[in-house]
Amino acid sequence: MKPYLGTIKGTLIAWFIYRFSFFFTLAGNLLYMTLIFFLWKSIYSGADTIHGMTFNQTFIYLALAGSLFILFTPGTDWTISNRIIDGSLIVDLLKPVDFQILTLARTTGFGIFNVAVITIPSLLVLFLGFRADMKLGIGLLFFPIGIMLSFLISFAIDFSLGLTSFYTESIWGISTTKTAITSLLSGALIPLPFFPQSVQNILRLLPFQAIYNIPLSMVTSPNLSVLDYARALGVQVFWVVLLFAFCRWFYRRAFRVLTVSGG
Amino acid sequence: MRTLRYYLKIYFRCAVQYVKARMQYRDDFIICSIGMAFSCVTTIFVFRILFNTIPNLAGWSFDEILFIYAFFLLSITPVQFFVDNIWFLRYDIISGAFIKYYLKPINILFYYMSERVDVKGFSQLALGVATLIYASSRLRMEWNLARILLMGIAWFSASLVAMSILIIAGSTGFWLFGGSLPVLNLAIKIRDFSPYPTTVFTGIFRILFTYLIPIGFVAFYPAQLFLRPGTAPLLAYASPLIGIGFFLLAYFIWSKGVDSYAGTGS
Repeated sequence: MKPYLGTIKGTLIAWFIYRFSFFFTLAGNLLYMTLIFFLWKSIYSGADTIHGMTFNQTFIYLALAGSLFILFTPGTDWTISNRIIDGSLIVDLLKPVDFQILTLARTTGFGIFNVAVITIPSLLVLFLGFRADMKLGIGLLFFPIGIMLSFLISFAIDFSLGLTSFYTESIWGISTTKTAITSLLSGALIPLPFFPQSVQNILRLLPFQAIYNIPLSMVTSPNLSVLDYARALGVQVFWVVLLFAFCRWFYRRAFRVLTVSGG
Repeated sequence: MRTLRYYLKIYFRCAVQYVKARMQYRDDFIICSIGMAFSCVTTIFVFRILFNTIPNLAGWSFDEILFIYAFFLLSITPVQFFVDNIWFLRYDIISGAFIKYYLKPINILFYYMSERVDVKGFSQLALGVATLIYASSRLRMEWNLARILLMGIAWFSASLVAMSILIIAGSTGFWLFGGSLPVLNLAIKIRDFSPYPTTVFTGIFRILFTYLIPIGFVAFYPAQLFLRPGTAPLLAYASPLIGIGFFLLAYFIWSKGVDSYAGTGS
């Protein structure tokens, strides 16, 4: 456990060197919130609720989705791919640690840094600046757990995509396709309740909605029963277990074809 | 005129070499084209789902928004083709490789950008043209020679604005220690809102997105010349001026950066 905690700490410190450039990421997110605010204000003109969601709920849903998108895009797939191309992956593989958990530790370091410099300031602006008015309920207690599980699902998808570059040795195309599919099907661009019912039924069977829609609906509808939230977390745990198992299996296969150019 | 021909010749030679090198990775080209197509189609899906619920967005119908989006895709295609190297500037600045561009008797911006001709732009171009044809036939738009000519001018001006936004964002890498990636991402994030009518913004934000970060000129204002020529604001006709002016500004900022760069000593 110790080497992994050390890695988390090390990555965290390394990221803090770049805290000033993250000012731009934060500014970008705040601007994104502003754009979302005006766009949806215009969509909601003349309607109190659309598909059972008020403007306030939709705005919180999408503004949070924007902030979470930054948290869930640590570029794990890119890091793995770059390490294959420049050969530094071999250094990781020679270490007496598990590669998947080592990568997770690095990603976690990024995640903690990100929560501190992007997510929390964005939340403050959302509730103090935009005065988005959020109902308090037990859903909010489940929200942080939901976020952590989403982070793991997102990591597992990125990790297995990074592994595909063991075969293709390039990542742009695959990563861009993933981002496009994930953001559309998870509710990150448009809330899940806006999709036609038949499409929604299919989307609820996919892992993508477990990344954004599940934690976001905990915030936007915080007054469901404990059982409902527990069931939602259950779905997330199911995907974490399934995808992590898949990563293990895939890693073992991909490892066999790995070619690292001399470092 | 001789210099123009000279530059075109150099550009063509660089481009041919680059495309030849890329051909080594044909699978990568196919995967990247699919990825590009996916991200464009995603946006169309978002519009479709949105317009299932609402009849119009700030007074614009689905077909009209689709036309604006097609125009947007076309105006960002030259960015993909010609200035994609801006994404790599940060590596060259930090590693010191950028110093080599000072040593040739040609324009540095030109030289730097000519080193990469991003062929992913083809799938963007194809989708843009297809969407434009589809949307304009749904809108029963009449195309005559004058309109096609106007389209050429509008497209040229809009793509100048789109290029300038990225050149300015990338040039910040000359001054930022952490590199220009967050600024470039910020620019892309804002730019992706250009297919939406700027009329949804009120007060200071409309001014911000019209003049300060002129994303309105990437698609919405120029597209109005075709959608509602009768009611298009005067600003829409000013887009060539805005395009050229903004590009000069971008070039000025780039040149300042080039002047201030001191290399890494290696």
